[in-house]
Amino acid sequence: MNKKPIATELRLAIVLVPLMAALTILSPRFLTLDNLTNVIWSVCFIGILSSGAIYPRITGGIDLSLGSMAALSGIVVDLFMNRMGIAWIPAILMTVVIGALVGLFNGFIVAKIKIPAFVVTMAAKTYLYGIALVVSQGAMLAILEPKPFILISTGRFLGLPNPIYIMVALVIASQFLLRRTAFGRQVMAVGSNEVAARLSGVDPDRVRLISYTISGGTSAVGGVILASLTQQVFAAAASGIELDVMTALVIGGTSAVGGRGSVVGALIGAIMVAFIINGLNLLNVPNLYQPIAIGTVIILALLLNEGYLVPKRRTLSRA
Amino acid sequence: MSSNGNGADLLLECRSITKSYSGHVVLDGVDFSIRRGEVHALVGENGAGKSTLIKIITGATGRDSGEMVYDGTVVPMDHQRRDAEALGIAVIFQELSLIPGMTVAQNIFLGKEPLRPLTRLIDVRRMNSQAQELIDRYEFPLKPTDIIDDISIAQRQLVEILKALSGKASLMIMDEPTSSLTKTEVEMLFKIIALLKSEGISVLYISHRMEEVYALSDRVTVLRDGRLVKVLDKGEISPEEIIRLMIGHKLEEKAVQHELSPKGGAVVLEVRGLTSLGKFEDLSFDLHEGEVLGIGGLVGSGRTELVRALYGADPYDAGTIRFLGTEWIPSVKKSIENGIGFIPEERRLQGILATQSITRNIGIPNLDRIAPRGIVNVKEEDRRAARGIEMLNVKPPRPEQLVGNLSGGNQQKVVLAKWLVRDLKLIFIDEPTVGIDIGAKEEIYEHIRALSARGVSVILVSSDLPELTRLSDRVIVLRRGRFFREFRECVLTGEKILRAASGIREGDDE
Repeated sequence: MNKKPIATELRLAIVLVPLMAALTILSPRFLTLDNLTNVIWSVCFIGILSSGAIYPRITGGIDLSLGSMAALSGIVVDLFMNRMGIAWIPAILMTVVIGALVGLFNGFIVAKIKIPAFVVTMAAKTYLYGIALVVSQGAMLAILEPKPFILISTGRFLGLPNPIYIMVALVIASQFLLRRTAFGRQVMAVGSNEVAARLSGVDPDRVRLISYTISGGTSAVGGVILASLTQQVFAAAASGIELDVMTALVIGGTSAVGGRGSVVGALIGAIMVAFIINGLNLLNVPNLYQPIAIGTVIILALLLNEGYLVPKRRTLSRA
Repeated sequence: MSSNGNGADLLLECRSITKSYSGHVVLDGVDFSIRRGEVHALVGENGAGKSTLIKIITGATGRDSGEMVYDGTVVPMDHQRRDAEALGIAVIFQELSLIPGMTVAQNIFLGKEPLRPLTRLIDVRRMNSQAQELIDRYEFPLKPTDIIDDISIAQRQLVEILKALSGKASLMIMDEPTSSLTKTEVEMLFKIIALLKSEGISVLYISHRMEEVYALSDRVTVLRDGRLVKVLDKGEISPEEIIRLMIGHKLEEKAVQHELSPKGGAVVLEVRGLTSLGKFEDLSFDLHEGEVLGIGGLVGSGRTELVRALYGADPYDAGTIRFLGTEWIPSVKKSIENGIGFIPEERRLQGILATQSITRNIGIPNLDRIAPRGIVNVKEEDRRAARGIEMLNVKPPRPEQLVGNLSGGNQQKVVLAKWLVRDLKLIFIDEPTVGIDIGAKEEIYEHIRALSARGVSVILVSSDLPELTRLSDRVIVLRRGRFFREFRECVLTGEKILRAASGIREGDDE
């Protein structure tokens, strides 16, 4: 009992190894460059979204609007570049700012009007999807220009796809924000005990506003990366991704009630989610059955995090 | 039935009830009885064993030994809450147990709703009309279809009473029912108690408010340190006598007598006419450098509300505050920046971050020092945590330990450490030692004294009378939100504070 418990991140990494080994044995196609590249792209997308979505989660809330926000961002960046003729860099920056503003609006309703985040962001998910439909006229739009924009996701640096660098940069920045700044301390404090945090000088409303703003911003970044990768944008482009992100967060040890969480853990969670989906595909499990598998994984991860399934003492003595 | 001669008119009889929690005896052979149709008050200081006795009677907790007879039925050792209900024992708790989103009628008949014949469907019309009958009978200002969320606390208490009455209660236990009521609401409650009595229902009443107790009660049972002190009959009941019995021989102990010696240093805090509607009114006082100013008063007297307003946690409506000679409108942020600390009343709900480490807990009000430009200086954070742990002797002394896993005393030490690692000028301390062991208590007292010796001013709110008398240099007693009495330069005893808090006026003491 007195031994220091192993960090969640390490425990997750340990689980990852047998998972990969099993997939390697079960499917000869698993350890191929093509397949791993596919997995990496999905890890990048989930990882980028998780690096921001973790903040509302730790404060005890949730952002369910990130899939719609990402899809809308793809449509908006295309609108800026290809219909309004704005250069690609300012177009991306403006898109990210819009995402952040939508997040700020969500945060305002959650923090100031005190409506549960679940309801607020569920509504946002719906109206953002609606706006995306209207702006895209319900069509699937192809993005063929400008070339530098396409290269953001399709290009490689030192042999690795560019989105990896973007994702790693965001994860590091987010982990730094969470672990090494006053804001990160305040996010944890608000999620742990809002009343005590307030009496110790933390402004919980401000912390919430910023948290949802960050989540909106990273959703927009993810949407831009996705648009550049797939070269097509449509309102349902990232539909359901919020579930994958929440799964990654849960697996990564972010508490469902707030006050606990790790960005690196979430990244490992994202890798596991991507591997599991990929593994199911490789093993020819029909698409129809995959949500059952994901749902089961969420429940197992929750039970594990709350200390069920594995007797506590055995977990500790493995350190 | 009972072999006792007057057994027939006794509704409840308890004999030599004993109960201990992990080796600590809280009830030691207590005899207790309630007659049919009487109003009976149970009084005693915090920790005298009142709540434990109530819990045993209502089946919320078991007794270790002793006999209980209710209405001629021997109550078995494995007495449970639902058994108590079946016997006719109803309780109205301090924290109300109503469901906020449901109607008055739904709450009254919760779990015993009238059903349509031959179905499991609730007969809503009949339920509402039955509720209306109950309401009419007692002339309560309620409608069966009111939602609990929309009615006042006092009205909710009425719903609790109706809920109990609908279950045909023969004993109604009211646990400090007046602590959150206005004067007119209290009067109404008294009428209700009289009404219950006239219907032959016994009422057991637990309150700190003396005049209410003696105005209402047929008999009073006084507990002290887990023992029965005396049962007073109607003619013997007076507030002076009750207080004397509650405090008992502890008066003679050196520890609770304390020579007050107000400090005359520079004025740190100057409060004039401070008013927060419905909480406290027109409070004025000065606080000097290094002075420990005790604030006494009963629960609900406005003590906590006063220190919260002074710290900036709640707004106030009128009055002025000067801090170190300048006009001061407090906010939590300003207070912390200017060397003011705050230890809240409820450690678990307001003091600690249970899922965070000791380091993080100590760090949170010190972010201005450990992260002056927004980026945490981890070395400084660790240094402060280590200093706090060492100063307060927190056990276990492991900075990464989650505070939720510490004992109550050590949690409170962490809450204190948050502020002691800062350069303080003033600290508000509300109920610093509730529910913590005697060792930790003494350590915390040492720190409060050391703060005062260093020139830090302290405002101390406490219901623990020996604590208040021992630590304070001067004591102000509040009553119903107003200034009632100040004690300075005298030998102070808990009895004097309690008499003042209960509204007993007297000339200046010896």
